[in-house]
Amino acid sequence: MKKQNKLRHYLGKQEIAGYVFILPFIIGFLAFMAIPMFLSFVFSFTDYDILSKPAFIGINNFKNMFFNDPKFWKVFKVTLKYVIFSVPLKLLMALLVALLLVRNTKLSGFYRAVYYLPSIIGSSVAVAILWRRMFASDGVINSILQSIGIPSNIPWLGRESTAIWTLIILTVWQFGSSMLIFLSGIKQIPVTLYESAKVDGAIGIQRFFKITLPMLTPTIFFNLINQLINGFMAFTQSYIITQGKPRDSTLFYTVYMYQNSFTYNKMGYGSAMAWFMILILSVLTFILFKTQKYWVYYEAEN
Amino acid sequence: MKKKIFAFVFSTIFIFGTVVGCGNNNGTNSSGKQGEDAEVTSENKETENDNNNENSEIILGFYWWGNQVRNDVTKRALDLYMEQNEGVVIKPEFSDWGGYWDKLAAMTAGGNMPDIVQQDYSFLNQYNDSGQLADLKPFMDDGTIDISKVPESIIESGKIDDKIIALSNGSNAPSFAYDKAVVEEAGVTIPLQMTMNEFYEISEIIYEKTGKLTFFDTGINALQLYTRGCGSHMFEEFAEGDYSSSTKFYSLAKRFSDSPSAIPPEILTEKDPGVIETKPIIDGTTWNDFSFSNQYISISEATGRDIGITMIPIDDDATTQPMFLKPSQFFSIAETSDHKEEAAKVLDYITNSIECNKILKAERGIPINTEVAEALKAEVDPTFAVVFDYINEVGKVATPIDDPDPNGKGEIEQLINRVGEDLRYGEVTADEAAKNVVDQSKSILESSN
Repeated sequence: MKKQNKLRHYLGKQEIAGYVFILPFIIGFLAFMAIPMFLSFVFSFTDYDILSKPAFIGINNFKNMFFNDPKFWKVFKVTLKYVIFSVPLKLLMALLVALLLVRNTKLSGFYRAVYYLPSIIGSSVAVAILWRRMFASDGVINSILQSIGIPSNIPWLGRESTAIWTLIILTVWQFGSSMLIFLSGIKQIPVTLYESAKVDGAIGIQRFFKITLPMLTPTIFFNLINQLINGFMAFTQSYIITQGKPRDSTLFYTVYMYQNSFTYNKMGYGSAMAWFMILILSVLTFILFKTQKYWVYYEAEN
Repeated sequence: MKKKIFAFVFSTIFIFGTVVGCGNNNGTNSSGKQGEDAEVTSENKETENDNNNENSEIILGFYWWGNQVRNDVTKRALDLYMEQNEGVVIKPEFSDWGGYWDKLAAMTAGGNMPDIVQQDYSFLNQYNDSGQLADLKPFMDDGTIDISKVPESIIESGKIDDKIIALSNGSNAPSFAYDKAVVEEAGVTIPLQMTMNEFYEISEIIYEKTGKLTFFDTGINALQLYTRGCGSHMFEEFAEGDYSSSTKFYSLAKRFSDSPSAIPPEILTEKDPGVIETKPIIDGTTWNDFSFSNQYISISEATGRDIGITMIPIDDDATTQPMFLKPSQFFSIAETSDHKEEAAKVLDYITNSIECNKILKAERGIPINTEVAEALKAEVDPTFAVVFDYINEVGKVATPIDDPDPNGKGEIEQLINRVGEDLRYGEVTADEAAKNVVDQSKSILESSN
């Protein structure tokens, strides 16, 4: 009983209570982020086949990666292409739909939910398999094309020129979360700005480019960084829909990393790849932050 | 007016919602309390159970790779075992071939290898090197696993250094499957073993008469077989940087892929021949397929058509018969397992129980217990008899199997698949393909051994 009281007293202290409340996060962070990251950093300098003990080999993994593995650069390019096309298209799509849904009508809540849906289910295995069927040579996409009079039996996933685009379309389709962020961003733009613009006789397009877009730049910036990181980390599409085929033209960086780590049992090499990706993402994010002052408008500053 | 109606409808919905919401709230509140009470009792029960568990209940993990047929029959066989052996709970887990090795490596690294795992000839070395597999010899010596009806050579196949680390689970041979109806329609007959030239001619005739396409395998198994036909061994040629067999193989592959009867690379990519359920023979795109004899049962079931089985075509200039018999797969017990003896009993059941093997339908290969195999042949469905006879035929001509695959096999397999794609898409010539495969395999072997 006494013990319990003591414990209660101890936990009752404000600074302790605070730590207790954030404990679940701290444990999760240590167990699933910090420690694995530290370990993978160590592994990246070793030859580690998962089953036996890692052996230190210095920077050999990185040397091999840059100079002896043409496939590494190939998957890097594939991933880059995917990001360069999918991220802007996705943001554009999200912005357009957000502009349509910003008006308060009876069904706008319903439509928002419907357009958000793909973001939740889009990266699942089930949708990946569905996608593979849809773009098959005897799939629904070709049937639709045929029914509107375009004779088509293109094996979309079997051609190097089209396979990556099916994955990009799948990603663009999952514009929901960016859309919601855009929506709240648009709603925060003061109505007075539009009213005075109307008084000055500005037409819709002018209002969009002179008010909406500049006021939205912080939101665009946030979405851009978010999606950029997501884009580089894309995995399911490549792993399940195409398995990198044809001819590695859809083999994403993360999938190759996974293959090295678990299929070829080269965990050290996989870890090195992971750290190179972290480096690339950090540099890109840093550059974007630096360019902020040229195009992102923060109201508070003026 | 419109507004009023809207307001009415809306408020009705709102009120209704609140009422229902309240009802729900009450419901959850009361059930929450009940739940708490129930939880207390169940907790008590659980602790009681836990105490019992320590005495009686044993939980065994059982992990395999396979296909739909195998997953179904294995689960049924394990259910039967659990019925007969109270206190033993077997937790089945399964995935396809590719995912299996990824997951098994990760589980093993974490010290969580399931008690019983399916193993393959090509991975035995790797898992043995790191001491992950338990020695089964003591269990065979004390009769826990009865091997009196199993030929000695089959037990030997799971032996590395003086330990028996794996128990074969059935015999297997590479095989060539074909759609009987298509072949009949084209008016050709498939001999027990075609030469490559015959295969080519038959393909052309079938394409002319029926429009069905031909699949020529360029995977690691095909190259390995072809190299055996040249009187050599694939991994040895790789290690020595010898192009001779590979060059011949890829020029043959080129000839097949240039033929109008060949399945176009785009379609082949779409229909992944690496997974039984999507093989191009299943939906009738092609009339033939390359696989292993135990897969015949699954292929027959998946197509629902009459499928024939014959030996892999042999090169016209072959010096050696490439066909071999192989332990289709093994079962091993994890060195980390707490219940090795119980796991061994399960292996005994799978090896020696006729009842169990009737459920398993020999989908993993011809049972190694000769009495079980005879009993199965007598009464199980005709597909099994086909495989049984086929294995007998192969046994008459087979030459010894290659040594277990060296480390790096996984990466080489991927490389060969990729080069096969390059060749089909016309991105490399046959000579380049051979050079790429041999050179890169050589460096993979050097860096991983």
